Formats: sequence, C-alpha cells, structure tokens
Amino acid sequence: MQLVEKIVKGERAAIAKAITLVESSKENDKKESRRLISELLNKPGKSIRIGFSGPPGVGKSTFIESFGRYLVEKNYKLGILAIDPSSQITGGSILGDKTRMIEISKNPNTFIRSTPSRGSLGGISLGTREASIILDAAGYDFIFIETVGVGQSETMATNLVDIFSLIVGPGSGDELQGIKKGITEYADIFIVNKNDGDLKSEASKTASDYKSAISYYKKSSDVAEKEVLLVSAIEQTGMEKVIETIQNIVTQNKKNKNFDERRAKQFTYWIEEEVREIIQFSIQNKIKEDGSISKFSQKVMNGEIQMFDAIEAITQNLQNK
Amino acid sequence: MKTKNSENYTKWQKSFEQETKIDLSEASSDTDEGIKIKPVYTKADIENLSFVDNDSLPGQLPYTRGPKASMYTNRPWTIRQYAGFSTAEESNEFYKKNLKSGQKGLSVAFDLPTHRGYDSDDDLVMGDVGKAGVAIDTVEDMKILFNDIPLDQMSVSMTMNGAVLPVLSSFVVAGEEQNVNKNLLSGTIQNDILKEFMVRNTYIYPPDPSMKIVADIIEFTSKEMPKFNSISISGYHMQEAGADNVLELAYTLADGMEYVRAALSKGLDIDDFAPRLSFFFAIGTDFFMEIAKLRAARTLWYKIMKDFGAKNEKSMILRTHCQTSGVSLTEKDPYNNIIRTSYEALSAILGGTQSLHTNSFDEAIALPTDESARIARNTQLILQNETGVTNTVDPLAGSYFIESLTDELSKKAWEIIEEIESLGGMTKAVKAGVPKLKIEESATKKQAKVDSGSRVVVGVNKFKNPKEPQVDVRVIDNNKVRDDQIKKINDIKASRDQKAVDESLAKLVSAAKEDSNLLACSIDAIKNRATVGEVSKALEQVYGRHFATSLSVSGVYGKHFEGDKNYMNVAKKVNTFEEENGRRPRVLIVKMGQDGHDRGAKIVATSFADMGFDVDMGPLFQSPKDVAKDAIENDVHAIGVSTLAAGHKTLVPELMKSLKKIDPNSKIVVFVGGVIPEQDYDFLYENNISAIFGPGSNIIESAETVIDLISDKIHKNN
Repeated sequence: MQLVEKIVKGERAAIAKAITLVESSKENDKKESRRLISELLNKPGKSIRIGFSGPPGVGKSTFIESFGRYLVEKNYKLGILAIDPSSQITGGSILGDKTRMIEISKNPNTFIRSTPSRGSLGGISLGTREASIILDAAGYDFIFIETVGVGQSETMATNLVDIFSLIVGPGSGDELQGIKKGITEYADIFIVNKNDGDLKSEASKTASDYKSAISYYKKSSDVAEKEVLLVSAIEQTGMEKVIETIQNIVTQNKKNKNFDERRAKQFTYWIEEEVREIIQFSIQNKIKEDGSISKFSQKVMNGEIQMFDAIEAITQNLQNK
Repeated sequence: MKTKNSENYTKWQKSFEQETKIDLSEASSDTDEGIKIKPVYTKADIENLSFVDNDSLPGQLPYTRGPKASMYTNRPWTIRQYAGFSTAEESNEFYKKNLKSGQKGLSVAFDLPTHRGYDSDDDLVMGDVGKAGVAIDTVEDMKILFNDIPLDQMSVSMTMNGAVLPVLSSFVVAGEEQNVNKNLLSGTIQNDILKEFMVRNTYIYPPDPSMKIVADIIEFTSKEMPKFNSISISGYHMQEAGADNVLELAYTLADGMEYVRAALSKGLDIDDFAPRLSFFFAIGTDFFMEIAKLRAARTLWYKIMKDFGAKNEKSMILRTHCQTSGVSLTEKDPYNNIIRTSYEALSAILGGTQSLHTNSFDEAIALPTDESARIARNTQLILQNETGVTNTVDPLAGSYFIESLTDELSKKAWEIIEEIESLGGMTKAVKAGVPKLKIEESATKKQAKVDSGSRVVVGVNKFKNPKEPQVDVRVIDNNKVRDDQIKKINDIKASRDQKAVDESLAKLVSAAKEDSNLLACSIDAIKNRATVGEVSKALEQVYGRHFATSLSVSGVYGKHFEGDKNYMNVAKKVNTFEEENGRRPRVLIVKMGQDGHDRGAKIVATSFADMGFDVDMGPLFQSPKDVAKDAIENDVHAIGVSTLAAGHKTLVPELMKSLKKIDPNSKIVVFVGGVIPEQDYDFLYENNISAIFGPGSNIIESAETVIDLISDKIHKNN
C-alpha cells in the first residue's frame, strides 16, 4: 500500500489523509481504515502517548504550546491530536485550538490535527486511537492527545495513552473532594498551571492540596508514583520538570513491565470495543427489520402483557434470528 | 384627571391605529441596541430623565448640548481627513494638496508593519508594506512626511497604538530637526491600546505593559507637550467591528476610565492631564441614534470625571473627533456611498463633533483616489457653507425624541460600564476576552439581519443596480514600495553611529526593566537613527509579544434563519455531503500578514459552523507558509482567506505556492473574501482562486457556493 510508505516516510499530506480516513463515518472508508491500521501496526514507532485533560479555562492549549515549544527546541518530533467540542444544535464546529498554539504550529517538527468531537462518548472522538497509530508509524516521538473536560479521564487513560495528565488551575483544590476518586485513580501527573504573578501562592497551595489528596491513594509498589507539578505556561517555567517526570515514569514503568501491560490491556479493550460495535451494529439492523419492539409496546400499553414478559419475548425473538 | 394632553394622545392613538391597522403597543421598531423606537414621542417622554438635564445650555454641565457655548456659530468643526499613501513622499504631496484646498488638520494613516513595530525589511511583513498607509521605518521617513509643513502651525493626528513609542518619538525628533520645540507641537496620538485587544489587533505587547506605555505617554506629554492630545479614546473601531452604539459608547468610556486610572497611578493630578484626553467615535447610518450617542457620551463623561474628583471644568468636557462609518460603505453600487456618508456627516454635526473625517466612496474597495477624496472633503464643505447647519447650536435640543433617546442610551451604556467596573476595570475585562466576544456577537447579529433581508441595504440586498458602475481605484505597487524602504533603511544603518544606537537601545531596555518613563529614552534612540522595528524589538525583550487567544460565539447567526429556505437548503447540502463523504465539509478561515481586522473572518467562521460546516480558525498574523501547513495537516476541503488590507496580491499567490510545495497534488479549494478591487479579480483567478466574495456578500449564498465548489472538486477527482 502506497499510503503506508508515505506515512512511514513522514509525508505530511499522507498522514493527514490517513487520519481523515480513520475518522470517516463511511462504511467503505472503515474497511479501508482497518486494512491501513493492520499494516501500520506492523511498523511500530517509538512514540510515547500522553493525554492532557482538564476543565475549560485552565490553559490546556497554552500549556501544550509552551511545553511543545520546549520539546521541539530539543529536536523532538511532536504530534498533537486536539479534540474540540462540536455544537449540539447544528453538528458543525469551530476548531480554534490552533489559535492558542501559534509558535509550535509553525514548527516543521510538529503535526497538529484538530478533530470535532461529534458528541461521541467520553469526548474522545472516533478515530483518535487510530490517528495516534498513524503518527507513531510516521516517527513522532511524542503524541499529545488533548480533550475537553475531565469527564473522559477514564476512557482516555485506559484506552489511549501511556501517561495521563490532568491540567488544573490555581484554586481548584476545593473541587478536589468531589472528583477525588476518579482523578487520583487515573491521572499519572497533575499539572498545576498559572504558577505566575498574583496567582503564585494560590498555585502552590493547590499543588499541596493535590499532593495530600494523592497520598491517600494506596500505591502499589511496582507502579511509578503519581506526581504533582507546578508550571506557568505563559512564562514557560517548570517545563524541564514535566519532561523529566514523563521520562522517569516511562523508564520505571518499562522496567517493571507496567508500560507493556498497560498497552496490552488497551489492545484487549480495543478488540472488545470493535467486537461490541460490530455486534451492536448487527443487532440494531435486526431490531429495525424485526419490528417486535413496537408490536410488544402496544401490547404492554393495552395491558395484554406485562412489561418484563414483553422484554423477554422480544429478546428471545431476536436471539433466534 | 383628564388633561388636554392625554385627551389629545388618546385621539392620536386612535387615528394611528386606524391608519396603520396596528396596535400601538406593537408598533415600535427594535434597534440593534435593544431600544424600542416608538412611532411618536411626547412631552411625557422627557419628564423624569435620569442623565439629561432639560434646562442646561451649550457649554454648561452636563455638557449634553456641546462642549462650548458658541459651537459652530463661532468656528465650524475641523475638517480632518485621514490619509496616508505608501511612502512618505507621496503622502507629503497629498497633504500639501489638501491643505491648499481647505483642509485644516492632518491625519496620518500608517501601514500595518509600522503599527505592529516591524521594519519594512522584516520577512513577516512582505505583503503589508505601504498597503494601508504610509511606512515609517526611521525618523528620516517622518521628516519627509512633514517636508514643507511647519509643525508649529499644523495640528497633526496620528493613528498609532502599537508602536506609539517609536512613532511619537519620530514625530518629536522630526519637529526638533525642523527647529520646532516639542512644547509647540499640537495634534493627537491615538494611543488607545485597550480597543486594539478588543477589535483591531494592532497591539505588540501584552495588556499590562501596554497600559504602562499609555501612562508613560500621558505623563510625558502632560509635562512636556502641553498642546498635544496624549490619547484619543476610540470607539470607532468597535462600531466598525460590529458593535452596536451602546457597546461602542460604554466600552469607549470604560476604556477612558481605565486610562485615567493609569495616569493617576503615575501620581499625576487629574486636572493636569484630563483636559488633553480626546475621543473618537464612528458615525453609522442610524441617523438619530448617532446624534444621541454623541450627546450621551458628553453627558456620561461629565459624570465619570466628576466622580473621579476633577475640579477643572475642562477635565469634565468630552471633546471628540468623528469619522463616518467605513463598514456602512458597500462595494456594490458604490456611488450610493457618497449619499450614506453625507447623512452620517450630518448626524455627526447635529451631535456636535469637534472634527470630522468623511470617507471616500471607494474605500470599500481600495485607498481613495484624488477624485474620491475631493468629493469626500466637499461633503463637509457643502455642509459648512451651504446648508446653514452652523447657525444654531444643538438645534435638536428639546426634541422629545432626541432627548429621550439620549437619556435611554446613557442609561443602557451606564449599565454596561458598571458591569465592566465590577470585573475590575477594562484591562481585566479585556484579558478575560469579554468585550471582544460581546462585539463579535453584535456583529454576527447585524450580518444575519442583512443576509436575511430584515435590514435593507440599498444596492446590496434590495434595489440592486442592474448595471454595476466601473470605478477606477488607486493601485499600489507593493514590491516597489518595499524595495525603496529597504534601501533607505540600509543607507541609514550604514551611515549612523552604531555605538550610539546600541547604547540608547540598551538604556531603553533598562528603563523598561526599572519601570521608568520610556518615551524620553525612545526619543534618544530615534534621534540616533534607531529604526521603529529596533525600538519595538528592544522592548519586546522585556515584555514579550502578545498573542491573542480567540473565543468564538456560536448559534447567533443561525438563530436569525430558523425556517429560512436558503439557510435550510445549505444545512441540507451539508448533511448530504457528510453522508457521501464520511465527514462534514471542512473549511479553514485565515487572516494572513499583519492585517488584524478579524470581524469578517469571525462572522464567516461562526455562521459557517452554524450551517454545519467544520471550521478551523487560524491564528492572526499567519504567514502563507503557516497557513499551508495548517490546512494540509487538518486535511481541509477549502481555505477561506479574509483580506482587508490590500495584501492579497502578494500573500494569496504565496499561499498557493506553499500548498503545492507541501502537497503537489493538493486539491484544496481556495476562496478569498474582503476588500478586493475588481481589477484584481482576474489576477486572483489566474492564481487558481475558486471564488471571490466582496464586501456585502450574502454569507448563506457564499456558503452554498463553497460547498458546491468542494463537491465539484471531489467529483472531478473520482
């Protein structure tokens, strides 16, 4: 396949077209996409995939601009997959992430792709995993996946990335109580942004709030420890510490096999997801053809049959098809 | 109790309802400002006003009726035409010609690289040199600009905000080298950086250091240049960017308050600088509203300054320059613009402006020609000499309608001012992006009204001219201007005392670090022949360059079209497209070069998204190379280039080249929108541009054209 060669060579246009293909909702494209991905899986690169999430307004894109600049100055190749929310009403979207990634978007060592979320589950858009495989094969050292909101921490951490980091703002320590369990469980790194100007003392207070929160979390001895870091995206401070932490976690997790286990688990998830999708698709078609749902609903309304008996009858019916 | 008045009113109401067959309560018209204009106003409407004092006279507090007792009866307003043409030489010729034909003051337009603090030889500005005004790289350019124009006799207004330090310094040094001491220089520098963060985007540094520079200039001029207006607090660009009159009024005054605070923080006494604050408003086509706006502005500023503790009467009086609306000009049937501009000018006069610029009718297309500039100036000469409007001060005072409207505008603006104050003042509000978003929302609403036909624009969406007239426009050879400027820079760099330049720039940097006044140091550097770009870059070392993050409104445009046939048609096409192609049509909307006017780009982006497109927004000030990378990585179907500063002839071909360079098989559709003279259409089509949308294009129709072009291209490839 010519496309595969071009991707491996790192041709920008080819990578972009391939991502379009894996994001496509057309049935034909999906088949082609599966073929492409199977080929690319045979040509794995060496990327580390890092997820960035955090509530709106904490400066995620600004942090990525700042941290990204630090990485490309050190000659790393950086791929960024940014997921923007789509409008619920019209389905269209404004993808404005790049207006906050001005410097790195110019750099020849970056590839930045924004993708509308399409209201898909957990804010992770369809095709994000495949897109990261494409960038990996194309030789990017780091792949950043940026999503909106913290609601998709679990999906992202368990399905997509090697390291999951949560970006928070000064003063967010108070909200910690409510979301403690989810984040302490899934985030590997907590990045407290806006450690600058008037907010400095607030930021370090927030960092210690997070530190004490994660200390309650029972840590298993063989997993790399969770870290809380203070940065200022606008002043570009604290970036060495971020990369150092990432590299430490990777080294440690590779040493104790955690890294590979996590990726193996993600594969299992992926296979399960694909299987589920295929079954769901066929079931949906069956339901559409069968028509027994509306038939039985009417009967329930008329009092001819109990609801749960109806459900059982419908399921029996579908399974026999 | 039945009075004669109320009996009359009841009778009138009955007749009105009979004539119109409309219930009176339904008969008001809604303005953009959310004010209900009633079919009739009576004495009852001017009783119990909140801000307006019915008994006051011109030149008396709260100055609603004008800053002076005699107003135009003593001396008419100053005809002040804004102009700047590519090179200092050309502009100088133009100024001298205009002064001979009755113009009293000068107003300088600079090109975008100068605004943004880049020299003409900087790679970032290749498409912009000399395009929207004159290029100033060193004091030598400034000296040529005012050659044979005695600066001790001529009042000079300079529209400069970003690079205020080097440009004002060049003006001071040019004066000095004409043997005019700085205390004799008169005129105005715009120096209004806050609105740049909201709308025009020709800032250089972040908001906080930018505010420090504003304060430095107020401080320096209040001590050393007593005849010079240190700031022109401008609402003009807000209305141009789509703000309604309440937003324009409120944000301008809130900006003014912030500048007053900045100057006070320097330890200045309010009465030492406040008399030299001046204002600048836009005058659009809403005739009575504009008159009321100027009257309300004076009324509110009096209150604001009194609250600040000003004692000197002059501190409390708002003096203003006005300009007719550029955004009201249309590319279609352009002679209509002469008529629009005339009515706008009359509004400004009836509102009591101190000086006025009237736009030339061809400015929706290009910089004015000598001929169109003459007509624009004559518009004012006719008003002054033939109509009798100068015979009576504030002739509309006492009109039930005008007085009530003035009060209502004041009330609405005051609410917004209080809102900004509660956010901690305008610098904070600007950092949070609040005003920018509000203005964009208002702009999108206005555009939707025109596109849906609920607002008539003659010659554009109704009464179209079947035979569009051809208009000759001014053509600028951008490459020649740039080459000449570069040669001048090189000559100066070769002949100057480099050590003196380095030392004075180093002093400037330490002044910035120590937080001392920057203007004096900047004057020294300029005197030593440092360039505008060098001075700006020196400060950039300390302050950094500001990059705006942009927020977007959504849903505002689409709301005006619920059920609209054309709109639904496009939305349907988008859905069909998605079914056929596995994704929505994806369009990248960009601005290239130093042109920061992003109202058009923003409106197109949000309305396309409302119709279901996926729209990528590029950052401001991109180079064609950056745009190509962005477009290809995101695999967009089309790129829409918004251009308002005449850079398209250089930048668009450059973009096409860059696209081919990254992807020789690129199938991306490129379309262009904005201010583009018809003479350039063929040139752009030859460069494979698929469509061109001039000012006043209907966005729904444009969206349909774009999706059809994209579909065509896809089908051709299959």
